Amino acid sequence: MSRPLRKLLDKAGMAVCVLLLVSPALLFFLWMLSLSLKFEIDNGAYPPILIPDRFAWKNYTTIFEGNSFLLYFWNSLIVTGAATLFALLVGVPAGYGIARMRAHKSAVVIMIARMTPGLSFLIPLFLLFQWLGLLGTLWPQIIIHLVVTVPIVIWIMIGYFETTPMELEEAAMVDGATRWQIFAKVALPIAKPGIVVAFILSVIFSWNNFVFGIVLASRETRTLPVAVYNMLSFEQVSWGPLAAAALVVTLPVLILTVAAQRQIVAGLTAGAVKGG
Amino acid sequence: MSILASSDRVAGAASVGRTKRLRPSYWPFVVPALVVVVGVIVFPWVFTLWMSAMEWRVGEEQRFVGLQNYVRLATDLRFLEALGHTLVYTALSVVAPLVLGTAAALAFNTKLPARGLLRGIFVMPMMATPVAIALVWTMMFHPQLGVLNYLLSQIGIGPLQWVYHPSTVILSLVLVETWQWTPLVMLIVLGGLASLPTEPYESAQIDGATAWQRFRYLTLPMIKPFLMVAVIIRSIDALKSFDILYTITQGGPGTASETINLYLYSVAFTYYDIGYGSAIAVVFFVLIILLSLVLLHLRQRSAWNSGDGK
Amino acid sequence: MASVSIRNVRKSYGPVEIIKGVSIDIQDGEFVILVGPSGCGKSTLLRMIAGLEEISGGTVAIDDRVVNDVPPKDRDIAMVFQNYALYPHMTIADNMSFALRLKNTAKSEIAAKVERAAGILGLGPLLGRFPRQLSGGQRQRVAMGRAIVRDPKVFLFDEPLSNLDAKLRVQMRTEIKEMHQRLKTTTVYVTHDQIEAMTMADKIVVMHDGIIEQIGAPLDLYDNPANMFVAGFIGSPAMNFIPGSIGGDGFTTEDGSRLPLGGRVPAASDGRPAVYGVRPEHFRLADEGLAAEVVVVEPTGSETQMVLRPLGVKAGREDRKRELTWVLRERTGARPGEVVRIAPDPALAHLFNPDTGLRL
Ligand SMILES: Nc1ncnc2c1ncn2[C@@H]1O[C@H](COP(=O)(O)OP(=O)(O)OP(=O)(O)O)[C@@H](O)[C@H]1O
Ligand SMILES: [Mg+2]
Repeated sequence: MSRPLRKLLDKAGMAVCVLLLVSPALLFFLWMLSLSLKFEIDNGAYPPILIPDRFAWKNYTTIFEGNSFLLYFWNSLIVTGAATLFALLVGVPAGYGIARMRAHKSAVVIMIARMTPGLSFLIPLFLLFQWLGLLGTLWPQIIIHLVVTVPIVIWIMIGYFETTPMELEEAAMVDGATRWQIFAKVALPIAKPGIVVAFILSVIFSWNNFVFGIVLASRETRTLPVAVYNMLSFEQVSWGPLAAAALVVTLPVLILTVAAQRQIVAGLTAGAVKGG
Repeated sequence: MSILASSDRVAGAASVGRTKRLRPSYWPFVVPALVVVVGVIVFPWVFTLWMSAMEWRVGEEQRFVGLQNYVRLATDLRFLEALGHTLVYTALSVVAPLVLGTAAALAFNTKLPARGLLRGIFVMPMMATPVAIALVWTMMFHPQLGVLNYLLSQIGIGPLQWVYHPSTVILSLVLVETWQWTPLVMLIVLGGLASLPTEPYESAQIDGATAWQRFRYLTLPMIKPFLMVAVIIRSIDALKSFDILYTITQGGPGTASETINLYLYSVAFTYYDIGYGSAIAVVFFVLIILLSLVLLHLRQRSAWNSGDGK
Repeated sequence: MASVSIRNVRKSYGPVEIIKGVSIDIQDGEFVILVGPSGCGKSTLLRMIAGLEEISGGTVAIDDRVVNDVPPKDRDIAMVFQNYALYPHMTIADNMSFALRLKNTAKSEIAAKVERAAGILGLGPLLGRFPRQLSGGQRQRVAMGRAIVRDPKVFLFDEPLSNLDAKLRVQMRTEIKEMHQRLKTTTVYVTHDQIEAMTMADKIVVMHDGIIEQIGAPLDLYDNPANMFVAGFIGSPAMNFIPGSIGGDGFTTEDGSRLPLGGRVPAASDGRPAVYGVRPEHFRLADEGLAAEVVVVEPTGSETQMVLRPLGVKAGREDRKRELTWVLRERTGARPGEVVRIAPDPALAHLFNPDTGLRL
């Protein structure tokens, strides 16, 4: 009798523990969802209401009507997509080269770049873009997002290529492959999981970036985080649509996080533990 | 005989010199990235340094002023105040996630059902778009309508002014930062816990050590290097924190939560005082590097100590 | 097929010289095995032949063409690695045809060659699988198949069997040997297992600390070792070395026992210190022989191996190396503690200079 009881208690304790762990995250995002689905009256109610009687679906439709939200979504997609693809294009081979040359010292540059506040890249690049007459297009943002994406990709790929066995590439050398063939046909296919990790993290950090946008974006070139921020400051929008917009902005990232949590954890801790 | 030998050696040396590399050179793989890194990372560093020695406002003549911007910084009370805020904010934003993240890692290190999914949810705050979550926090902080004050009233506390009062604004922001970044500490420590050997625990259990003693005398010393990594990363990120602060308070009320990064933003992009802004950027950068070096040094020592046994 | 000639080859990593001037001539179609203790530089030498390591001095020539500066892909060699180095993302067929595909060989020719190699190695049913779906022995065969398909001038093997269990190792040994007899491709094979060397090689190169101790046919090395190192390295269990001196027409051990030399006394060597070397299988029971106490008896079924302690040698750690090993074909009732008298066959014994290690 006492044994099953104890097992039950253990299970209950475990459940409580688990709930405690994830509740700050879970409750926050639930509240965010709740805010986004309530009419203004419900959002202003005291005591607050978690689940309203009527859902304000129109909060979601309004943000797509009035605010060129689709354009901003498109901008975000272009900036993140271009910055990530370009980073993969140059960063994957670079990670390979650095790993194979055992030029670990060069990774220090990447680390310092990671330490540098984004704003200190902004001042000089802002002036450069102004001088080049690029402001008002998406190019400045695409280029400056490389500050985020390129180091991530290089960093992760160095770690990945270092763990792939050299013997395979030597076998390919003996088999008659040139260095490009070795890279393309042996090293790259084996490093695919690493590329996936680099891709996911690069996308997330680029998508989330805010500081580059508030300086470089004009009305037509805003990315989603900037657009949402501007909703707060300039157009006196009520809480419902604002929360809905915020949720729309971050939803792709949240879905990616839960779906690819294993890759994300691997990438973050690999970078972190080695990065120290 | 000896002449022969030495000429032999010379010939050998010469042929070594002529030997072309059998292994492919890997430079071509690196060059494109090198160009990008020089263009968007190294060039801004150098250019910032140069600008910091100029009197340079957007739309006006530029003038070389040497160290004048730095001298001005040393007496700029608003900068010194921002420096203080930054240090307080950073210290709190390191310690709180460190403690909570370690505790969470210990909990996650057990056999949880659906561990992957739970970890995914737990990690969401740090991956979510900072501006988006900052907006929601702003609503939650609202003194009259916010859910936080309602929750506090349920346990008989409050109401607090949260980010609307100078005395609580920094703590409130630290709360957000902690909520956001505890997961990262958890992941790092979890990685450390996974690498621990099991034998010491078994022998400690036989020796009759309590759970707390096992944590205090086994786990803690063994994960110390990982904790140091977490401290380093957390320090850098907290120093650089921008999105949350800018979205929720913009440094307010007044300048009560203005950090160096926010001040830098105002100087450079509100007042367009490029030269002075660059000087702040340089000082800020040096501050971050110095702190990182100190922490790295400490980590080396902690790793050495833990390697030493006691 | 090709000859390989290695002339005074050296290799240094920084100030440390790993290969200290090595010369080997390998004839067309020969199966040459490099043996030596771990760390003596066998792999390094092999990798220099392959072009995976640069050569610090001397020359390597394949078919009379010096290839020092020729990258591996242009040397027309195939190599089998210790861990097989199979491409994990390719099927077995793709693994085997990779080199041919790089050379844009016609599809039909590739198919024919892969099929032939698969036939030789019995890999037919596995061609569609991935390396991770194979057993160790099968992977080993694929690695060889990859080499065969190339039809290269030279095969290079670096300890290809060391990851297999004992039984499989014996089997693969035979297969490699058969393969060589069939294809007659010049082969350089590295191992630290002297049994592999003895059973497979046409010619063995014994290396030690970056130099060559001796080159010769297996039985030649066994019968006529050039020095104590080779004598001790080739043959299992290892040769017994008994220190003493030459006197009259025989050999006097340090304890004063006499061992026969069978009239092969080197000239003008009376009283000269020497080491008497005799293989464990070259002792026989003899009334006038060395008296020794039986320490351990190890029957293996087909033969019996005994450790003997000559009377006068104290039991103890430092005298362990003065104990003798005796292998006899017949079974024996001898028990530990008994004293036996054994004598070496003088015709098969060797004398070594204790200072230089060279055979007298
Ligand atoms: N890249 C290197 N840098 C410095 N020393 C090296 C390097 N590679 C090998 N060595 C040294 O060269 C020596 C010979 O190494 P090698 O791998 O050729 O030995 P081996 O005879 O193949 O031994 P094993 O039987 O253990 O494989 C070793 O002492 C090794 O430490
Ligand atoms: Mg080796």
